[in-house]
Amino acid sequence: METRRVKDAAKQAGIRIPLILWSIAVLFPIVWMFLGSFKSNAEIYASPWGLPETWNFSNYAVAWFDYGLGTSAFNSIVVTVGGTLLTVVLAVPTSYALERIRFKGSTIMYNLYLSAMMIPLVLGWIPLFFLLLNINLLDNLFGLILVYAMSQIPFSVFILTGFMSTIPADLEEAAAIDGMSQYRMLFTVITPLSMTGIITISIMNAINFWNEYFMALIFLQSSEKYTLALAVDFMKNEAQYTNAWGTLFAGLVIAIVPVIIAYAIFQRRITKGMTEGAVKG
Amino acid sequence: MVQSKKERYGFLAFCLLPTFILFLIFTIYPLFSGMYYSFFEMSGSSSNKEFVGLANYVKLLNDEIFPHTIWHDYFLVITKVIGIMILATFFAVALTQLRIKEAPFYRIVFFFPNIMSIVVIGILWMFIFNPDLGLINSGLEALGLEDWTKAWLGDPDTALSALVLPSVWAGIGLFMLMLMGGILTIPKSFYEAATVDGANGWQQFWKVTVPLVWPQIKNSILYIVITTLNGSFIIVQVMTEGGPDNSTQVMGSYLYQQAFQRNNFGYGATIGVAILILSLITVLLLQKFMKREKIQY
Repeated sequence: METRRVKDAAKQAGIRIPLILWSIAVLFPIVWMFLGSFKSNAEIYASPWGLPETWNFSNYAVAWFDYGLGTSAFNSIVVTVGGTLLTVVLAVPTSYALERIRFKGSTIMYNLYLSAMMIPLVLGWIPLFFLLLNINLLDNLFGLILVYAMSQIPFSVFILTGFMSTIPADLEEAAAIDGMSQYRMLFTVITPLSMTGIITISIMNAINFWNEYFMALIFLQSSEKYTLALAVDFMKNEAQYTNAWGTLFAGLVIAIVPVIIAYAIFQRRITKGMTEGAVKG
Repeated sequence: MVQSKKERYGFLAFCLLPTFILFLIFTIYPLFSGMYYSFFEMSGSSSNKEFVGLANYVKLLNDEIFPHTIWHDYFLVITKVIGIMILATFFAVALTQLRIKEAPFYRIVFFFPNIMSIVVIGILWMFIFNPDLGLINSGLEALGLEDWTKAWLGDPDTALSALVLPSVWAGIGLFMLMLMGGILTIPKSFYEAATVDGANGWQQFWKVTVPLVWPQIKNSILYIVITTLNGSFIIVQVMTEGGPDNSTQVMGSYLYQQAFQRNNFGYGATIGVAILILSLITVLLLQKFMKREKIQY
Protein backbone atom coordinates (compact mmCIF):
# COMPACT_ATOMS: atom_id res chain seq x y z
CA MET A 1 0.00 0.00 0.00
CA GLU A 2 2.74 2.39 1.01
CA THR A 3 4.67 1.97 -2.24
CA ARG A 4 1.49 2.47 -4.17
CA ARG A 5 0.86 5.77 -2.41
CA VAL A 6 4.41 6.88 -3.13
CA LYS A 7 4.00 5.87 -6.75
CA ASP A 8 0.77 7.83 -7.07
CA ALA A 9 2.33 10.87 -5.49
CA ALA A 10 5.27 10.63 -7.89
CA LYS A 11 2.90 10.34 -10.83
CA GLN A 12 0.92 13.33 -9.63
CA ALA A 13 4.09 15.37 -9.26
CA GLY A 14 5.38 14.23 -12.63
CA ILE A 15 2.28 15.71 -14.22
CA ARG A 16 1.81 18.74 -11.99
CA ILE A 17 5.35 20.01 -12.26
CA PRO A 18 5.37 20.41 -16.07
CA LEU A 19 1.97 22.11 -15.89
CA ILE A 20 3.18 24.56 -13.27
CA LEU A 21 6.45 25.21 -15.11
CA TRP A 22 4.66 25.94 -18.36
CA SER A 23 2.24 28.29 -16.59
CA ILE A 24 5.24 30.19 -15.28
CA ALA A 25 6.82 30.20 -18.74
CA VAL A 26 3.66 31.76 -20.17
CA LEU A 27 2.86 34.22 -17.39
CA PHE A 28 6.31 35.36 -16.35
CA PRO A 29 7.25 37.24 -19.55
CA ILE A 30 3.85 38.93 -19.59
CA VAL A 31 4.10 39.99 -15.93
CA TRP A 32 7.68 41.05 -16.55
CA MET A 33 6.50 43.31 -19.37
CA PHE A 34 3.88 44.94 -17.13
CA LEU A 35 6.41 45.54 -14.33
CA GLY A 36 9.03 46.85 -16.76
CA SER A 37 6.61 49.40 -18.14
CA PHE A 38 6.70 51.21 -14.77
CA LYS A 39 10.47 51.19 -14.41
CA SER A 40 12.95 53.83 -15.42
CA ASN A 41 15.74 52.72 -17.75
CA ALA A 42 18.30 52.81 -14.96
CA GLU A 43 16.09 50.56 -12.90
CA ILE A 44 15.62 48.07 -15.74
CA TYR A 45 19.37 47.68 -15.95
CA ALA A 46 19.88 47.60 -12.20
CA SER A 47 17.16 45.09 -11.37
CA PRO A 48 15.61 43.62 -14.51
CA TRP A 49 13.67 41.04 -12.49
CA GLY A 50 12.38 42.92 -9.45
CA LEU A 51 9.28 44.92 -8.70
CA PRO A 52 9.45 48.60 -9.67
CA GLU A 53 10.51 50.91 -6.84
CA THR A 54 7.79 53.40 -7.64
CA TRP A 55 4.87 52.95 -9.97
CA ASN A 56 5.40 55.81 -12.33
CA PHE A 57 3.48 56.28 -15.50
CA SER A 58 5.98 58.46 -17.33
CA ASN A 59 6.82 55.66 -19.77
CA TYR A 60 3.18 55.59 -20.80
CA ALA A 61 3.09 59.35 -21.28
CA VAL A 62 6.22 59.25 -23.43
CA ALA A 63 4.92 56.34 -25.51
CA TRP A 64 1.46 57.87 -25.93
CA PHE A 65 2.52 61.41 -26.80
CA ASP A 66 6.15 61.39 -28.00
CA TYR A 67 5.95 58.15 -29.96
CA GLY A 68 2.47 58.89 -31.22
CA LEU A 69 0.87 55.74 -29.82
CA GLY A 70 -2.23 57.85 -29.21
CA THR A 71 -2.67 58.32 -32.96
CA SER A 72 -1.76 54.70 -33.64
CA ALA A 73 -4.26 53.44 -31.09
CA PHE A 74 -6.92 55.52 -32.82
CA ASN A 75 -5.90 54.08 -36.21
CA SER A 76 -5.99 50.58 -34.81
CA ILE A 77 -9.50 51.16 -33.48
CA VAL A 78 -10.66 52.50 -36.86
CA VAL A 79 -9.18 49.55 -38.74
CA THR A 80 -10.43 46.99 -36.23
CA VAL A 81 -14.00 48.30 -36.04
CA GLY A 82 -14.19 49.02 -39.78
CA GLY A 83 -12.75 45.66 -40.77
CA THR A 84 -14.97 43.74 -38.37
CA LEU A 85 -18.18 45.46 -39.51
CA LEU A 86 -17.32 45.13 -43.19
CA THR A 87 -16.59 41.43 -42.75
CA VAL A 88 -20.00 40.87 -41.16
CA VAL A 89 -21.79 42.83 -43.89
CA LEU A 90 -20.03 40.82 -46.59
CA ALA A 91 -20.06 37.41 -44.92
CA VAL A 92 -23.64 37.10 -43.58
CA PRO A 93 -25.60 37.24 -46.89
CA THR A 94 -23.03 35.05 -48.63
CA SER A 95 -23.12 32.46 -45.85
CA TYR A 96 -26.92 32.42 -45.93
CA ALA A 97 -27.08 31.91 -49.69
CA LEU A 98 -24.39 29.25 -49.64
CA GLU A 99 -25.95 27.38 -46.75
CA ARG A 100 -29.68 27.71 -47.43
CA ILE A 101 -30.33 28.28 -51.13
CA ARG A 102 -29.74 25.57 -53.69
CA PHE A 103 -28.17 26.92 -56.82
CA LYS A 104 -25.74 25.74 -59.43
CA GLY A 105 -22.14 26.28 -58.42
CA SER A 106 -22.85 26.73 -54.73
CA THR A 107 -20.44 23.95 -53.72
CA ILE A 108 -17.76 25.28 -56.05
CA MET A 109 -18.06 28.75 -54.58
CA TYR A 110 -17.98 27.41 -51.02
CA ASN A 111 -14.86 25.35 -51.75
CA LEU A 112 -13.23 28.29 -53.47
CA TYR A 113 -13.66 30.37 -50.31
CA LEU A 114 -12.41 27.53 -48.14
CA SER A 115 -9.33 26.83 -50.22
CA ALA A 116 -8.30 30.47 -49.80
CA MET A 117 -7.77 29.61 -46.12
CA MET A 118 -4.97 27.22 -47.08
CA ILE A 119 -3.20 29.14 -49.81
CA PRO A 120 -0.21 31.32 -48.93
CA LEU A 121 -1.42 34.81 -49.71
CA VAL A 122 2.01 36.41 -49.55
CA LEU A 123 2.41 36.06 -53.34
CA GLY A 124 -0.77 38.06 -53.81
CA TRP A 125 0.50 40.94 -51.70
CA ILE A 126 2.79 42.16 -54.50
CA PRO A 127 -0.01 42.71 -57.05
CA LEU A 128 -2.28 43.91 -54.25
CA PHE A 129 0.27 46.59 -53.46
CA PHE A 130 0.07 47.90 -57.04
CA LEU A 131 -3.69 47.49 -57.15
CA LEU A 132 -4.08 49.66 -54.04
CA LEU A 133 -1.56 52.11 -55.45
CA ASN A 134 -3.56 52.45 -58.67
CA ILE A 135 -6.91 52.98 -56.95
CA ASN A 136 -5.38 55.41 -54.43
CA LEU A 137 -5.95 53.15 -51.45
CA LEU A 138 -2.31 52.54 -50.63
CA ASP A 139 -1.25 54.12 -47.33
CA ASN A 140 -4.93 54.50 -46.60
CA LEU A 141 -6.83 53.10 -43.63
CA PHE A 142 -9.89 52.31 -45.73
CA GLY A 143 -7.70 50.32 -48.13
CA LEU A 144 -6.35 48.34 -45.20
CA ILE A 145 -9.90 47.76 -43.91
CA LEU A 146 -10.87 46.28 -47.29
CA VAL A 147 -7.80 44.05 -47.41
CA TYR A 148 -8.36 42.91 -43.82
CA ALA A 149 -12.03 42.13 -44.39
CA MET A 150 -11.26 40.09 -47.50
CA SER A 151 -8.53 38.19 -45.66
CA GLN A 152 -11.06 37.01 -43.06
CA ILE A 153 -13.99 36.27 -45.39
CA PRO A 154 -13.11 32.59 -45.86
CA PHE A 155 -12.86 31.91 -42.12
CA SER A 156 -16.03 33.91 -41.42
CA VAL A 157 -18.05 32.16 -44.13
CA PHE A 158 -16.85 28.80 -42.85
CA ILE A 159 -17.91 29.51 -39.27
CA LEU A 160 -21.18 31.26 -40.19
CA THR A 161 -22.42 28.55 -42.55
CA GLY A 162 -21.82 26.11 -39.70
CA PHE A 163 -23.99 28.19 -37.39
CA MET A 164 -26.72 28.76 -39.98
CA SER A 165 -27.03 25.06 -40.70
CA THR A 166 -28.42 24.64 -37.19
CA ILE A 167 -31.33 27.07 -37.74
CA PRO A 168 -34.51 25.01 -38.27
CA ALA A 169 -35.87 25.21 -41.82
CA ASP A 170 -39.50 25.50 -40.60
CA LEU A 171 -38.85 29.06 -39.55
CA GLU A 172 -38.05 30.07 -43.09
CA GLU A 173 -40.99 28.08 -44.47
CA ALA A 174 -43.37 29.71 -42.02
CA ALA A 175 -42.03 33.14 -42.86
CA ALA A 176 -42.35 32.43 -46.58
CA ILE A 177 -45.95 31.31 -46.18
CA ASP A 178 -46.65 34.57 -44.37
CA GLY A 179 -45.48 36.24 -47.56
CA MET A 180 -42.25 37.60 -46.18
CA SER A 181 -39.72 38.54 -48.84
CA GLN A 182 -36.35 36.81 -48.79
CA TYR A 183 -34.64 40.12 -48.08
CA ARG A 184 -36.73 40.70 -44.98
CA MET A 185 -36.26 37.11 -43.95
CA LEU A 186 -32.49 37.49 -44.16
CA PHE A 187 -32.49 40.64 -42.05
CA THR A 188 -35.29 39.98 -39.57
CA VAL A 189 -35.18 36.20 -39.13
CA ILE A 190 -31.82 34.75 -40.14
CA THR A 191 -29.50 37.50 -38.92
CA PRO A 192 -30.90 37.65 -35.37
CA LEU A 193 -30.88 33.85 -35.14
CA SER A 194 -27.24 33.75 -36.28
CA MET A 195 -26.19 36.31 -33.70
CA THR A 196 -24.06 33.81 -31.76
CA GLY A 197 -22.08 33.03 -34.89
CA ILE A 198 -21.84 36.67 -35.89
CA ILE A 199 -20.52 37.62 -32.46
CA THR A 200 -18.01 34.77 -32.54
CA ILE A 201 -16.55 35.74 -35.92
CA SER A 202 -16.56 39.40 -34.95
CA ILE A 203 -14.51 38.81 -31.81
CA MET A 204 -12.06 36.59 -33.67
CA ASN A 205 -11.74 39.02 -36.56
CA ALA A 206 -11.39 42.02 -34.27
CA ILE A 207 -8.52 40.38 -32.37
CA ASN A 208 -6.91 39.44 -35.66
CA PHE A 209 -7.14 42.95 -37.09
CA TRP A 210 -5.97 44.54 -33.85
CA ASN A 211 -2.89 42.29 -33.81
CA GLU A 212 -2.12 42.26 -37.52
CA TYR A 213 1.34 43.39 -38.51
CA PHE A 214 2.57 42.31 -41.92
CA MET A 215 -0.15 43.62 -44.21
CA ALA A 216 -0.08 46.91 -42.32
CA LEU A 217 3.70 46.99 -42.84
CA ILE A 218 3.29 46.59 -46.60
CA PHE A 219 0.16 48.65 -47.23
CA LEU A 220 0.71 51.59 -44.86
CA GLN A 221 3.66 53.90 -45.26
CA SER A 222 3.41 57.19 -43.42
CA SER A 223 3.85 57.16 -39.66
CA GLU A 224 0.64 59.06 -38.96
CA LYS A 225 -1.26 56.10 -40.50
CA TYR A 226 0.55 53.48 -38.40
CA THR A 227 -1.48 50.99 -36.44
CA LEU A 228 -0.30 49.99 -32.96
CA ALA A 229 1.54 46.91 -34.20
CA LEU A 230 3.58 49.04 -36.61
CA ALA A 231 4.15 51.82 -34.08
CA VAL A 232 5.39 49.36 -31.45
CA ASP A 233 7.64 47.69 -34.02
CA PHE A 234 9.02 51.13 -34.89
CA MET A 235 9.65 51.82 -31.19
CA LYS A 236 11.53 48.52 -30.98
CA ASN A 237 13.81 49.54 -33.84
CA GLU A 238 14.48 52.88 -32.14
CA ALA A 239 15.06 51.28 -28.76
CA GLN A 240 17.99 49.31 -30.13
CA TYR A 241 19.84 52.63 -30.28
CA THR A 242 18.20 54.64 -27.52
CA ASN A 243 17.75 51.74 -25.07
CA ALA A 244 14.38 53.19 -24.08
CA TRP A 245 13.13 49.79 -22.95
CA GLY A 246 10.70 51.07 -20.34
CA THR A 247 8.85 53.07 -22.98
CA LEU A 248 8.79 50.08 -25.29
CA PHE A 249 7.33 47.94 -22.51
CA ALA A 250 4.63 50.58 -22.01
CA GLY A 251 3.91 50.42 -25.75
CA LEU A 252 3.56 46.64 -25.61
CA VAL A 253 1.17 46.93 -22.67
CA ILE A 254 -0.98 49.44 -24.55
CA ALA A 255 -1.12 47.03 -27.49
CA ILE A 256 -2.01 43.99 -25.40
CA VAL A 257 -4.48 45.32 -22.82
CA PRO A 258 -7.52 45.34 -25.16
CA VAL A 259 -6.76 41.73 -26.09
CA ILE A 260 -6.56 40.74 -22.43
CA ILE A 261 -9.90 42.45 -21.76
CA ALA A 262 -11.50 40.70 -24.75
CA TYR A 263 -10.12 37.39 -23.55
CA ALA A 264 -11.38 37.96 -20.01
CA ILE A 265 -14.90 38.59 -21.30
CA PHE A 266 -15.14 36.17 -24.23
CA GLN A 267 -12.70 33.42 -23.27
CA ARG A 268 -15.03 30.55 -24.16
CA ARG A 269 -16.15 31.97 -27.48
CA ILE A 270 -12.58 32.78 -28.50
CA THR A 271 -11.19 29.33 -27.76
CA LYS A 272 -14.18 27.67 -29.45
CA GLY A 273 -13.97 29.89 -32.51
CA MET A 274 -10.25 29.35 -32.95
CA THR A 275 -10.33 25.59 -32.54
CA GLU A 276 -13.20 25.32 -35.01
CA GLY A 277 -11.47 27.57 -37.51
CA ALA A 278 -8.27 25.55 -37.24
CA VAL A 279 -10.04 22.26 -37.90
CA LYS A 280 -10.79 23.21 -41.45
CA GLY A 281 -7.86 25.60 -41.90
CA MET B 1 -42.27 29.23 -52.11
CA VAL B 2 -43.85 31.41 -54.76
CA GLN B 3 -41.23 33.39 -56.45
CA SER B 4 -40.27 34.25 -59.97
CA LYS B 5 -36.97 33.27 -61.48
CA LYS B 6 -36.03 36.90 -61.68
CA GLU B 7 -36.67 37.49 -58.00
CA ARG B 8 -34.72 34.39 -57.11
CA TYR B 9 -31.66 35.42 -59.11
CA GLY B 10 -31.97 38.96 -57.88
CA PHE B 11 -31.79 37.79 -54.30
CA LEU B 12 -28.91 35.41 -55.01
CA ALA B 13 -26.99 38.19 -56.71
CA PHE B 14 -27.70 40.52 -53.80
CA CYS B 15 -26.31 37.95 -51.35
CA LEU B 16 -23.36 36.66 -53.29
CA LEU B 17 -22.10 39.15 -55.84
CA PRO B 18 -20.64 42.00 -53.76
CA THR B 19 -18.59 39.63 -51.63
CA PHE B 20 -17.57 37.44 -54.53
CA ILE B 21 -16.50 40.35 -56.73
CA LEU B 22 -14.36 41.76 -53.92
CA PHE B 23 -12.98 38.27 -53.29
CA LEU B 24 -12.04 37.97 -56.98
CA ILE B 25 -10.40 41.40 -56.97
CA PHE B 26 -8.57 41.24 -53.65
CA THR B 27 -7.74 37.54 -53.29
CA ILE B 28 -7.94 35.59 -56.56
CA TYR B 29 -6.72 38.20 -59.02
CA PRO B 30 -3.59 39.08 -56.97
CA LEU B 31 -2.65 35.42 -56.76
CA PHE B 32 -2.74 34.88 -60.53
CA SER B 33 -1.36 38.30 -61.22
CA GLY B 34 1.55 37.41 -58.93
CA MET B 35 2.31 34.38 -61.07
CA TYR B 36 2.19 36.61 -64.15
CA TYR B 37 4.55 39.16 -62.55
CA SER B 38 7.14 36.43 -62.06
CA PHE B 39 7.89 36.56 -65.79
CA PHE B 40 8.72 40.25 -65.70
CA GLU B 41 11.48 42.46 -64.54
CA MET B 42 9.83 45.26 -62.63
CA SER B 43 11.50 48.13 -60.95
CA GLY B 44 9.57 50.64 -58.96
CA SER B 45 6.15 50.60 -60.58
CA SER B 46 3.89 48.23 -62.39
CA SER B 47 3.94 50.30 -65.56
CA ASN B 48 7.68 49.81 -65.77
CA LYS B 49 7.84 46.17 -66.60
CA GLU B 50 9.77 44.22 -69.11
CA PHE B 51 9.05 40.63 -70.12
CA VAL B 52 12.03 38.45 -69.29
CA GLY B 53 10.56 34.96 -69.70
CA LEU B 54 12.03 32.49 -67.26
CA ALA B 55 14.96 34.69 -66.30
CA ASN B 56 13.67 35.20 -62.76
CA TYR B 57 13.33 31.45 -62.31
CA VAL B 58 16.86 30.87 -63.59
CA LYS B 59 18.04 33.53 -61.17
CA LEU B 60 16.14 31.81 -58.35
CA LEU B 61 17.76 28.45 -59.09
CA ASN B 62 21.19 30.06 -59.04
CA ASP B 63 20.48 32.17 -55.97
CA GLU B 64 22.78 31.08 -53.17
CA ILE B 65 20.54 32.37 -50.41
CA PHE B 66 17.27 30.82 -51.57
CA PRO B 67 18.06 27.15 -50.76
CA HIS B 68 18.97 28.27 -47.24
CA THR B 69 15.62 30.02 -46.86
CA ILE B 70 13.81 26.81 -47.88
CA TRP B 71 15.82 24.81 -45.37
CA HIS B 72 15.14 27.40 -42.65
CA ASP B 73 11.40 27.22 -43.34
CA TYR B 74 11.36 23.44 -43.11
CA PHE B 75 13.58 23.52 -40.04
CA LEU B 76 10.94 25.69 -38.38
CA VAL B 77 8.16 23.42 -39.64
CA ILE B 78 9.80 20.27 -38.27
CA THR B 79 10.90 21.68 -34.92
CA LYS B 80 7.55 23.39 -34.38
CA VAL B 81 5.57 20.25 -35.20
CA ILE B 82 7.70 18.16 -32.84
CA GLY B 83 7.83 20.72 -30.02
CA ILE B 84 4.18 21.72 -30.16
CA MET B 85 2.78 18.22 -30.65
CA ILE B 86 4.75 16.65 -27.80
CA LEU B 87 3.92 19.38 -25.31
CA ALA B 88 0.32 19.88 -26.48
CA THR B 89 -0.38 16.14 -26.35
CA PHE B 90 1.18 15.81 -22.91
CA PHE B 91 -0.83 18.71 -21.55
CA ALA B 92 -4.05 17.56 -23.27
CA VAL B 93 -3.75 14.09 -21.77
CA ALA B 94 -2.81 15.44 -18.36
CA LEU B 95 -5.78 17.81 -18.29
CA THR B 96 -8.36 15.29 -19.48
CA GLN B 97 -7.32 11.91 -18.11
CA LEU B 98 -6.32 12.92 -14.62
CA ARG B 99 -8.46 14.71 -12.15
CA ILE B 100 -6.81 18.06 -11.74
CA LYS B 101 -8.85 20.64 -9.87
CA GLU B 102 -7.15 23.65 -11.39
CA ALA B 103 -7.41 22.38 -14.98
CA PRO B 104 -9.45 25.40 -16.17
CA PHE B 105 -6.68 27.69 -14.97
CA TYR B 106 -4.10 25.90 -17.11
CA ARG B 107 -6.44 25.88 -20.08
CA ILE B 108 -6.98 29.62 -19.87
CA VAL B 109 -3.30 30.45 -19.30
CA PHE B 110 -1.86 28.14 -21.95
CA PHE B 111 -4.19 29.44 -24.63
CA PHE B 112 -3.56 33.12 -24.06
CA PRO B 113 -0.37 33.47 -26.17
CA ASN B 114 -2.39 32.24 -29.17
CA ILE B 115 -4.24 35.53 -29.31
CA MET B 116 -1.26 37.79 -28.65
CA SER B 117 0.04 39.84 -31.56
CA ILE B 118 3.14 38.37 -33.16
CA VAL B 119 4.75 41.78 -32.76
CA VAL B 120 4.26 41.65 -29.00
CA ILE B 121 5.41 38.02 -28.81
CA GLY B 122 8.47 38.78 -30.94
CA ILE B 123 9.52 41.83 -28.95
CA LEU B 124 8.92 40.09 -25.63
CA TRP B 125 11.16 37.21 -26.70
CA MET B 126 13.81 39.60 -27.98
CA PHE B 127 14.03 40.71 -24.36
CA ILE B 128 14.15 37.18 -23.09
CA PHE B 129 17.09 36.55 -25.43
CA ASN B 130 18.70 39.95 -24.74
CA PRO B 131 22.38 39.35 -23.93
CA ASP B 132 22.53 41.83 -21.02
CA LEU B 133 19.05 41.97 -19.54
CA GLY B 134 17.39 38.84 -20.84
CA LEU B 135 15.85 36.14 -18.75
CA ILE B 136 17.80 33.35 -20.39
CA ASN B 137 21.25 34.76 -19.76
CA SER B 138 20.29 35.98 -16.29
CA GLY B 139 18.96 32.52 -15.52
CA LEU B 140 22.14 30.86 -16.73
CA GLU B 141 24.22 33.25 -14.62
CA ALA B 142 22.08 32.52 -11.60
CA LEU B 143 22.80 28.83 -12.10
CA GLY B 144 26.52 29.54 -12.38
CA LEU B 145 26.65 28.76 -16.10
CA GLU B 146 28.14 32.08 -17.26
CA ASP B 147 30.05 30.30 -20.01
CA TRP B 148 26.83 29.32 -21.70
CA THR B 149 25.50 32.86 -22.00
CA LYS B 150 25.55 34.37 -25.45
CA ALA B 151 23.81 36.75 -27.80
CA TRP B 152 21.27 34.16 -28.88
CA LEU B 153 19.71 36.14 -31.69
CA GLY B 154 22.98 37.75 -32.74
CA ASP B 155 24.83 34.50 -33.32
CA PRO B 156 24.20 32.81 -36.69
CA ASP B 157 24.55 29.41 -35.02
CA THR B 158 21.77 29.89 -32.51
CA ALA B 159 19.49 32.52 -34.04
CA LEU B 160 17.24 30.16 -36.00
CA SER B 161 16.82 27.73 -33.09
CA ALA B 162 16.07 30.68 -30.85
CA LEU B 163 13.09 31.52 -33.09
CA VAL B 164 11.56 28.10 -32.46
CA LEU B 165 10.95 28.79 -28.77
CA PRO B 166 8.57 31.74 -29.16
CA SER B 167 6.74 29.90 -31.94
CA VAL B 168 6.20 26.85 -29.72
CA TRP B 169 5.38 29.05 -26.74
CA ALA B 170 2.72 30.86 -28.75
CA GLY B 171 1.27 27.75 -30.37
CA ILE B 172 0.75 25.17 -27.62
CA GLY B 173 -2.62 26.32 -26.30
CA LEU B 174 -4.64 26.02 -29.48
CA PHE B 175 -3.43 22.51 -30.29
CA MET B 176 -3.81 21.38 -26.71
CA LEU B 177 -7.48 22.40 -26.92
CA MET B 178 -7.96 20.68 -30.28
CA LEU B 179 -6.54 17.44 -28.87
CA MET B 180 -8.55 17.78 -25.67
CA GLY B 181 -11.69 18.05 -27.78
CA GLY B 182 -10.80 14.74 -29.38
CA ILE B 183 -9.89 12.97 -26.16
CA LEU B 184 -13.12 14.01 -24.46
CA THR B 185 -15.17 12.18 -27.10
CA ILE B 186 -13.54 8.84 -26.26
CA PRO B 187 -15.94 6.83 -24.09
CA LYS B 188 -14.63 6.09 -20.59
CA SER B 189 -15.50 2.41 -21.08
CA PHE B 190 -12.61 2.01 -23.57
CA TYR B 191 -10.11 2.89 -20.89
CA GLU B 192 -11.88 0.73 -18.34
CA ALA B 193 -11.76 -2.22 -20.74
CA ALA B 194 -8.06 -1.56 -21.42
CA THR B 195 -7.37 -1.46 -17.68
CA VAL B 196 -9.18 -4.76 -17.20
CA ASP B 197 -6.99 -6.21 -19.96
CA GLY B 198 -3.98 -5.09 -17.97
CA ALA B 199 -2.83 -2.25 -20.23
CA ASN B 200 -0.80 0.36 -18.36
CA GLY B 201 -1.14 4.09 -18.85
CA TRP B 202 1.50 4.25 -21.56
CA GLN B 203 -0.05 1.37 -23.52
CA GLN B 204 -3.48 2.92 -23.17
CA PHE B 205 -2.09 6.16 -24.58
CA TRP B 206 -0.67 4.48 -27.70
CA LYS B 207 -3.41 1.89 -28.27
CA VAL B 208 -6.52 3.85 -27.33
CA THR B 209 -5.88 7.59 -27.22
CA VAL B 210 -3.62 8.08 -30.24
CA PRO B 211 -5.67 6.04 -32.76
CA LEU B 212 -8.92 7.62 -31.63
CA VAL B 213 -7.71 11.21 -31.72
CA TRP B 214 -5.76 10.66 -34.94
CA PRO B 215 -8.05 13.03 -36.89
CA GLN B 216 -7.24 15.81 -34.42
CA ILE B 217 -3.53 14.96 -34.45
CA LYS B 218 -3.53 15.00 -38.24
CA ASN B 219 -5.39 18.31 -38.41
CA SER B 220 -3.08 19.87 -35.85
CA ILE B 221 0.05 18.84 -37.74
CA LEU B 222 -1.38 20.05 -41.04
CA TYR B 223 -2.39 23.34 -39.48
CA ILE B 224 1.05 23.89 -37.97
CA VAL B 225 2.71 23.10 -41.31
CA ILE B 226 0.42 25.41 -43.28
CA THR B 227 0.62 28.32 -40.87
CA THR B 228 4.40 27.99 -40.61
CA LEU B 229 5.02 27.88 -44.36
CA ASN B 230 2.55 30.72 -44.91
CA GLY B 231 3.50 32.85 -41.96
CA SER B 232 6.88 32.06 -40.40
CA PHE B 233 8.29 35.23 -41.95
CA ILE B 234 6.25 37.43 -39.64
CA ILE B 235 8.10 36.45 -36.48
CA VAL B 236 11.37 36.43 -38.45
CA GLN B 237 10.73 39.97 -39.66
CA VAL B 238 9.94 41.20 -36.15
CA MET B 239 12.79 39.47 -34.34
CA THR B 240 15.74 39.24 -36.73
CA GLU B 241 14.74 40.56 -40.17
CA GLY B 242 16.38 37.43 -41.54
CA GLY B 243 19.77 38.17 -39.97
CA PRO B 244 22.41 37.81 -38.79
CA ASP B 245 23.95 37.09 -42.17
CA ASN B 246 20.74 35.52 -43.54
CA SER B 247 20.92 32.79 -40.90
CA THR B 248 17.21 33.16 -40.12
CA GLN B 249 16.04 34.22 -43.57
CA VAL B 250 12.93 32.29 -44.60
CA MET B 251 11.19 32.33 -47.98
CA GLY B 252 8.57 34.89 -46.97
CA SER B 253 11.01 37.35 -45.43
CA TYR B 254 13.24 36.99 -48.47
CA LEU B 255 10.26 37.78 -50.70
CA TYR B 256 9.47 40.84 -48.58
CA GLN B 257 13.02 42.14 -48.75
CA GLN B 258 13.43 41.52 -52.46
CA ALA B 259 10.06 42.98 -53.40
CA PHE B 260 9.33 45.71 -50.92
CA GLN B 261 12.76 46.80 -49.75
CA ARG B 262 14.76 46.43 -52.96
CA ASN B 263 11.89 46.94 -55.40
CA ASN B 264 12.64 43.69 -57.25
CA PHE B 265 8.93 42.99 -57.56
CA GLY B 266 9.26 40.48 -60.38
CA TYR B 267 11.83 38.47 -58.52
CA GLY B 268 9.78 38.71 -55.33
CA ALA B 269 6.80 37.28 -57.22
CA THR B 270 8.99 34.41 -58.41
CA ILE B 271 9.85 33.62 -54.79
CA GLY B 272 6.12 33.81 -54.04
CA VAL B 273 5.36 31.24 -56.75
CA ALA B 274 8.00 28.96 -55.22
CA ILE B 275 6.37 29.35 -51.79
CA LEU B 276 2.97 28.54 -53.28
CA ILE B 277 4.24 25.42 -55.07
CA LEU B 278 6.29 24.14 -52.14
CA SER B 279 3.51 24.60 -49.60
CA LEU B 280 0.90 22.94 -51.86
CA ILE B 281 3.20 19.96 -52.50
CA THR B 282 3.98 19.68 -48.78
CA VAL B 283 0.33 19.73 -47.78
CA LEU B 284 -0.65 17.15 -50.43
CA LEU B 285 2.20 14.83 -49.46
CA LEU B 286 1.37 15.16 -45.77
CA GLN B 287 -2.29 14.41 -46.38
CA LYS B 288 -1.35 11.29 -48.29
CA PHE B 289 1.27 10.25 -45.78
CA MET B 290 -0.96 10.71 -42.75
CA LYS B 291 -3.98 8.97 -44.19
CA ARG B 292 -4.91 6.15 -41.85
CA GLU B 293 -7.85 3.85 -41.92
CA LYS B 294 -10.52 5.25 -39.70
CA ILE B 295 -10.45 3.21 -36.53
CA GLN B 296 -13.61 1.96 -34.96
CA TYR B 297 -13.80 -0.16 -31.88
